Amino acid sequence: MSSMTRWIGLLSDPKNLETYQRYVETIEPKIGAFLEFDPRRGLTESSAEGPLKGVPFAVKDILAVKGFRLTCGSRILEGFVSPYTATAVEKLQQAGAVVVGKTNMDEFGMGSSSDTSFYKRTNNPWDLDRVAGGSSGGSAAAVACGLVPFALGSDTGGSVRQPAAFCGIYGLKPTYGVVSRYGLVAYASSLDVVGICASTVEITAEMFTHIRGKDDRDQTSVEPPVKAWGNEGAERQVRRIGVVTGNLGLEAGVERAYKTTQEVLRSLGYEIEPVELSMLEYYAPVYYTIAMAEASANLARYTGIRYGYRPEYAENPEELVRKARSEGFGDEVKLRILLGTYVLRSGFQDQYYQRAQRIRTAIRKDFDRVFHEVDVILSPVFPTQAFRHGAEGLDPFQQKVADRFTTAANLAGIPALSFPAGLEGGLPVGFQLMAPVFAEDLLFQVARRFAGVVPPPKAPTNTSPWS
Amino acid sequence: MYQSFIGLEIHIQLLTQSKVFCSCPVRFGDEPNTNVCPVCMGYPGVLPSLNREAVKYGYVVARALNCQLSPVTVFERKNYFYPDMPKNYQISQYAFPIGRNGYMDIEFRKKKKRVRIHEVHLEEDAGKSIHAGDLSLLDYNRAGTPLLEIVTEPDLEIGEEAEVLLQNFRRMVRYLGVCDGNMEEGSLRCDANVSVNLRGQGLGKKVEIKNLNSSRFVRLALNYEIARQEEILSRGGTILQETRLWNENRDITEGMRRKESAHDYRYFPEPDLPPFTADEIFLKEVEESLVELPDQRKNRFLTQYNLSEALAEFLTAEKSTADFFERTVGQGADPAAAATWLSSDVQKLLNRQGITLPASPLSPERFAELLVLLQEGKIHGKLGKQVLEILFQEDKSPAQILKERGWEQITDLGTIGGIVEKILARNPHVVETIRKGDMKPWGFLVGQIMKETGGKADPRVVQTLLKERLQASSLYLLTFGGAISGRRDRDGMVVPGGSIAIQKILQQDPAWKDRVRVEELPGEEILSEEITPADWATLILRTASLLQEGNAKGIVITHGTDTLAYTASLFHWLFGKAEIPLVFTAASLPPEEGTEAAQNILQAVELAAQGRGGVSVVFGGERFEPVNLRFSSLDPMRFYTWNQKRIRKEAPSPFPLFGGGLEEESLRMRIEGIVRRVFIVKVFPCMQGEQLLSLIKAGVRFFILELFDTGTANLRQSPFSLKKAFEIGKQEGVHFFCTSQQEGIVDFSGYVTAHALWKEGAIPMGGLATESVYTKLIAASLYAESDEEILRWMEANSADIG
Repeated sequence: MSSMTRWIGLLSDPKNLETYQRYVETIEPKIGAFLEFDPRRGLTESSAEGPLKGVPFAVKDILAVKGFRLTCGSRILEGFVSPYTATAVEKLQQAGAVVVGKTNMDEFGMGSSSDTSFYKRTNNPWDLDRVAGGSSGGSAAAVACGLVPFALGSDTGGSVRQPAAFCGIYGLKPTYGVVSRYGLVAYASSLDVVGICASTVEITAEMFTHIRGKDDRDQTSVEPPVKAWGNEGAERQVRRIGVVTGNLGLEAGVERAYKTTQEVLRSLGYEIEPVELSMLEYYAPVYYTIAMAEASANLARYTGIRYGYRPEYAENPEELVRKARSEGFGDEVKLRILLGTYVLRSGFQDQYYQRAQRIRTAIRKDFDRVFHEVDVILSPVFPTQAFRHGAEGLDPFQQKVADRFTTAANLAGIPALSFPAGLEGGLPVGFQLMAPVFAEDLLFQVARRFAGVVPPPKAPTNTSPWS
Repeated sequence: MYQSFIGLEIHIQLLTQSKVFCSCPVRFGDEPNTNVCPVCMGYPGVLPSLNREAVKYGYVVARALNCQLSPVTVFERKNYFYPDMPKNYQISQYAFPIGRNGYMDIEFRKKKKRVRIHEVHLEEDAGKSIHAGDLSLLDYNRAGTPLLEIVTEPDLEIGEEAEVLLQNFRRMVRYLGVCDGNMEEGSLRCDANVSVNLRGQGLGKKVEIKNLNSSRFVRLALNYEIARQEEILSRGGTILQETRLWNENRDITEGMRRKESAHDYRYFPEPDLPPFTADEIFLKEVEESLVELPDQRKNRFLTQYNLSEALAEFLTAEKSTADFFERTVGQGADPAAAATWLSSDVQKLLNRQGITLPASPLSPERFAELLVLLQEGKIHGKLGKQVLEILFQEDKSPAQILKERGWEQITDLGTIGGIVEKILARNPHVVETIRKGDMKPWGFLVGQIMKETGGKADPRVVQTLLKERLQASSLYLLTFGGAISGRRDRDGMVVPGGSIAIQKILQQDPAWKDRVRVEELPGEEILSEEITPADWATLILRTASLLQEGNAKGIVITHGTDTLAYTASLFHWLFGKAEIPLVFTAASLPPEEGTEAAQNILQAVELAAQGRGGVSVVFGGERFEPVNLRFSSLDPMRFYTWNQKRIRKEAPSPFPLFGGGLEEESLRMRIEGIVRRVFIVKVFPCMQGEQLLSLIKAGVRFFILELFDTGTANLRQSPFSLKKAFEIGKQEGVHFFCTSQQEGIVDFSGYVTAHALWKEGAIPMGGLATESVYTKLIAASLYAESDEEILRWMEANSADIG
């Protein structure tokens, strides 16, 4: 793991810490990856020893870190400081890694650009006029410009994989339940997973071994069957890769890169099988129905009563709540709460929520069928490369339609890894590999071999001496 | 005729160590917001972890309620905004609750009912809002406390039934140890829904009643609400489907401020919690947590220990008392003695100190030791009571206490015998008096002997030795008016007489000559139709003192025929548990007019000399039970027993032996106090029920209604029915005890009019005849401190033993 060696011990040495801070201070103003940056505070919460001793990492502002703010990019959590730490973060801290700060994101994870954040805009390290993707845009950008070797994000419908693809890095969405969600602010509980943004496959895989495992504080977490992890000797070998085909509606550059990637994989000796995901058109509608329904309940707790944004004045508790939510939430969040409430109304559940759940089951079965024929699946992450900020980019509806490739893994609960596949027009392109549940090792295996031929690109803003 | 339907929603807080979804302690009364953590405060990013103990308690209750247990139970989110609910959704259950389709059996006024349980589900409690002036404060200590909701089907009809169900349920969960059942503090809460409709037309519009924080309020609110809805319907109005609040200050239900919209809770499965699978190991734990429930235990106590209904009820009301009792018995104590002491002397000490039995210093082992000492005659009752008091104060065994205080009793016959001889020799005149039959100085002799031994002699030994020495144990005959002690005057009328004729009969019989002590009561000569409270008081107190002195072997009471049914049953209630026979007899003609009186008297004396304990009646060569007697003046004149077949079940007296302890004057006043408030009414067709209102106005609070066939009466909305009397009666605290004009059992089954009476709160007296009910009421009033207690005694019978 040569890519990690220069980071190890970095923050344990006060002189290096200063050098590090200076580097971040030169890059960060251009990028806007962090909502809060304070490596010294992070140091106080980490173990002084361990395999990751002194390694800086960033945490998406949707994961709780004691002593750091926890805003989820929303005004409604303005000023809220977390009294506890998420399990995934805690495990890294115990291994010696140091939280340097909290990264920007779309409000409550609802977006594909990080532009719905109440606090700031995050720019793509490859082109500052473009978005870093979302919702874990800050985490992906921080990794891409070498501020950290890896960062934690969350992936409900592609929120780690899409910004990873936009920024030219790796983004892992693990099997549902393999990483504890304790401390991950819920957007859609049955879809949310803690994910990893990292600069190399090796770092991604290593961090994954650190954060996975059953947690008593998350009863939906699971200990994966031992065999699935594969030990060195008996590692399963990927032979057949299914490639999602059909009219996918990809941008020309993405389409070209998709073809090239398939060629490279073929040249590595993999059998490339075209597979058709018969339910592809259902992914986004089903995903949004379930996600919004769950979100409408998950976001009900933000009332300004116990924490976060509180309006100046209210006549009574009801008005306090109404004002806090009306002033505290952004438009996209309000839209999703309203839609979620709508699909859960009694008399309408069968038509929307329960129907979506039935289709979700069918989607799972469809993947079971496909994994009978191939070991892993290759698919696009997003139909476009990083788009521009504002009106020149994608409107919210187009962004939702574009989520159809990534949402599949969340609906099916399977692991997926977004990997960089070179540049098109000076911007990175990424694709994703999907595998059966608990088979993350297969994803790393293919991505590692692919990187041997097509190494991950380095963003022009990345002048980090450590990466 | 309307029908009412009541269903209950009961919430209980489970007595788990920690909250249902986090490890915060479940504890009340702490500083606000101290038993909280990010999970129960609904902080961003936290997740619930299900407390297995809470689920287990839920399954235990569902099992005890005979539910079908779900093999897999699922939690769901119930969405609504409320400031004291941290997440603004409550984790509850909906499609797959812990248990379904159970039942609970209840009984109110002899009507048994199986109330179906719709479901049992587990959820989390909310915090508390406190509104202080223009501030709203929130305390989240309670948020996340495990709450079990039990929903019944609308199988209840009246508030009283709901109250019974709730009380039984409360006792059950306390037995199971899953809830402390405290309604005032809200660990047991109850909402009720009620609908009223024309009979046969199914459920009406449902009205929900909240704010019922005692089982009494549940009864009052439901009965108020049923009456309110019936009134609206009878005016042709319609019921508004709504939620109403019980106003305990005004004793009415009031409509809540209308909500802007109906709640749509938008239930959906809780994605943060996997479904809970009740596997074999878990279900085994559930089975092991079940205990013998109160009703089962009470029935077992009745048969296994041969206890009265009242004592069994007392012992099993709290599991800790029942456990204590059984441990005491396990140590060799006599069950009857243990039960009696627990319900009387021990309870008195507990009340005085304001503590509960398990919290008291008394242990079953020491209590048993004390009872065994009493059983073996090593100490006498009075000393036993003193020792008991010391057991509450000092950490010593009864034996130690006796030894330290030098209270060990002298039981040795030789020692005491010597002292008896000494005292008798010292008092020859007294001995003479007693031998002549005047027992008055008896107490003086006992006192002298006790004094001589420094109070240490076993009084029972003293009594036995004295009796042996003086041959004092004898038969008593008390005259109490009637033709049997009367004579005919010159006009040919029977007039009251004294005891001369009776004395003559006894003196003429060689078997009983000089063996029966005759006393004339009640002091003046009466005929039995002239009985006054003072007469009864005299007779009762004389009997009580004879029983207490212990010199009587048997007592005969001569009485008139026409009111014998009353006095005999009254004595049965008061002295049914006497160890010696109390035999009533009577005659239709004075002794001088034939052999009837003599025959009856001699038979009664014979029975009194050798019969078993308790009260009986002898007449015309037959022996009768003292209750439900009826007299027939046709030739031959005879007594017979009303509801003969049933009477074994109704007869045992639920009351403890009446011990007197009152001045004659105050007993008279107590009897007067109750008879002033009683009236016996025989219903008849076209009876104007409203006439009872003037009796109520005059202070009558207990009616004994002699109904038509087994429990029927007119209750229609008309002046010729009892409707109004019941309506007004309910407001005034009037009770109606129902007997029948025909032989049969009054239990209000079978007829819609009888059912209506039951709904109105009439109390069915089963197979008891009117006369026996009247005297039972008098007896009850002597034991009870309140009308509620009187009701309890009136409903108490010794079940179906024997």
